[in-house]
Amino acid sequence: MAKIVEVSSVAKDYGEGGIITHALRGVDLVLMAGEFTSMAGPSGSGKTTLLNIIGGLDRPSSGTVHIEGIEITQLPGTQLSRIRRDRIGFIFQSFNLIPVLTAFENAEYVLMLQNVDKEQRVERVMRVLREVGLEGLEHRFPRELSGGQQQRVAIARAIAPEPALVLADEPTANVDSETGRSLMELMRRLNEEKGITFLFSTHDRAVMERARRLIKLRDGQIIEDTEPRNL
Amino acid sequence: MIVRLAWRSIWRNKRRTLITMTSISLGLTIAIFFTALVEGVFRQVVNEAIRMQAGHITLENPEYQTSPAVDLRIGGVENLRRRIEGIEAVEQTKLLIWGQGVANSGAGGVGVMVMGVEPSVEMKTSPLAQDIVAGAYLADSDDRMVVLGGHLAEQLKLKLGSKIVLTTNNAQGQLVEELCRVKGIFRTGSDEIDGYLIQIPATFARRVFGLGDDEATQLGVILKRPGDQAVVIDAITPMVAGKDIAVLPWQSILPEVASFIRLRRTSNGVFQGLLFVIILFTILNTLLMSVIEREREFAVLLALGTPVRQLKGQLFVESACIACLGGLAGMVLGGSLALALQIWGLDLASIMPKGVTISGFAVSTTIHANLTPPILYWIGGIVLGATLLLSFMPMRRITQVHIAETLR
Ligand SMILES: Nc1ncnc2c1ncn2[C@@H]1O[C@H](COP(=O)(O)OP(=O)(O)O)[C@@H](O)[C@H]1O
Ligand SMILES: [Mg+2]
Repeated sequence: MAKIVEVSSVAKDYGEGGIITHALRGVDLVLMAGEFTSMAGPSGSGKTTLLNIIGGLDRPSSGTVHIEGIEITQLPGTQLSRIRRDRIGFIFQSFNLIPVLTAFENAEYVLMLQNVDKEQRVERVMRVLREVGLEGLEHRFPRELSGGQQQRVAIARAIAPEPALVLADEPTANVDSETGRSLMELMRRLNEEKGITFLFSTHDRAVMERARRLIKLRDGQIIEDTEPRNL
Repeated sequence: MIVRLAWRSIWRNKRRTLITMTSISLGLTIAIFFTALVEGVFRQVVNEAIRMQAGHITLENPEYQTSPAVDLRIGGVENLRRRIEGIEAVEQTKLLIWGQGVANSGAGGVGVMVMGVEPSVEMKTSPLAQDIVAGAYLADSDDRMVVLGGHLAEQLKLKLGSKIVLTTNNAQGQLVEELCRVKGIFRTGSDEIDGYLIQIPATFARRVFGLGDDEATQLGVILKRPGDQAVVIDAITPMVAGKDIAVLPWQSILPEVASFIRLRRTSNGVFQGLLFVIILFTILNTLLMSVIEREREFAVLLALGTPVRQLKGQLFVESACIACLGGLAGMVLGGSLALALQIWGLDLASIMPKGVTISGFAVSTTIHANLTPPILYWIGGIVLGATLLLSFMPMRRITQVHIAETLR
């Protein structure tokens, strides 16, 4: 199996001069294609920081990150931007949909950046929206959707470009536990059926239990890396 | 997609967008309206001054401007005027004979400007001929008749039919005295003209001042369209080649009027400039606010892999939409107001004192605007251009967005 992510000795310090926060202190992590991995840890343990660095939204203070073999920490902005567009999908805690675009248009957005032609775009977006269970809601704007539905749009937006890796930062933190469980079911199904690699952070026990691999973080370090149960 | 995002984004905060567009359009309306108004007043004054005097273009002795003397005349005027009237852009030519003298009555003597005119031509062209308040204007067949200003008539205690003696020097340097009668009294609204000017028929004037039949002090050319001035000057210049005749634009004949207009245009420009700066601040404020408010949204778009240049493009389109819509509204509104004022005019008699003059020429109390295409496209273009330039400031902010920090 191919290595999708390889994180080596990554450290991240915030602040300069006076008080320095060591958000990450030498993290090593490898994700293979098709993994469904959960990252758990108390608030402030460095989960968001690590996801941002893996996703190329932030740069580490030291260490390297390879995405599908490409070292991304030194890449210029435009190339990094292209890797995010083509290889990585993002799901955020607070959904972060574009408010002026409909569900369909939100899911279509990255495909338009990629210049996918219209016919193919429509076909793919409709299929993805069906897969995430939003059939019939394509033309609603985010404000006309519930939190769970908005997060489904976000999932559709993340997987529509068929990325190698989806990063989800506490994707269930802003919805009730029932909705959270069904979102996890959905991502798990997408992982199994489409082989998309998922890495998400959470401190929701129900979410951790659905992961095949569980990484525990504390004070910016990985303290545990297990495969709690195999299916 | 850029356009779709931009268009929907500007209507997300309808109120702010509308306020901005309104301020752009009101600013433009005011600018266009007042510029057209001021230009309208200028046009009226210039038009009347020109028609009362020596036209848009004047042919005269080259030395006449520096030392106006009655012997500085031009000859061969009938042939010249026939050729000039053959030019399509020319509405009318007029002959003027100018001299200074003293007007005497039983009540005393006053120094006056004597203007010899062709009455039938003046009836067609000069506003003065319409300003007769007592008696009648001159006729071509009149001899030893004068029309004079109301102030002058009061000073000399003259009534219609009164006798008046004109004393002057003719071109040959001899002292001349002529007895005339008052045929009419005019009031132009200008103290200078009404207190100082006497008109007499041209044939009589030639005799008084000792000029030949084919001579005059000035040959004035009135144009159908003021804009043709330069072209017609170029057409006339070869006709007088080799002769001792200068072809001058009205701006050289009436330099005080020309410089007054230049001055007022400048101060109008300064006023507009200030207004413009205020508008620009509103626009800049809106553009910056809308970027700051949406920083998170831009961070998301960047996280998804949107090129920075595309986001800049989106902001540019947003600014352009606001500027174009607001600008268009302002041009339509300001343009139609100015046009209405141009067609129907505004009678300011109740708030404006009569007798306002520009360099001795009366300003009519009925004001008509003068809306020209350059007013529209200059003012509109400047606002549009400046807005687009301003949009570069919010664009710069986008390059400074730190995705991870903003999305926290
Ligand atoms: N911009 C920042 N400046 C200073 N400290 C920060 C900044 N962002 C995060 N931190 C600190 O880094 C540590 C890790 O934060 P984070 O990655 O958000 O943890 P988690 O997502 O696990 O809650 C925390 O101590 C947090 O306070
Ligand atoms: Mg976090």
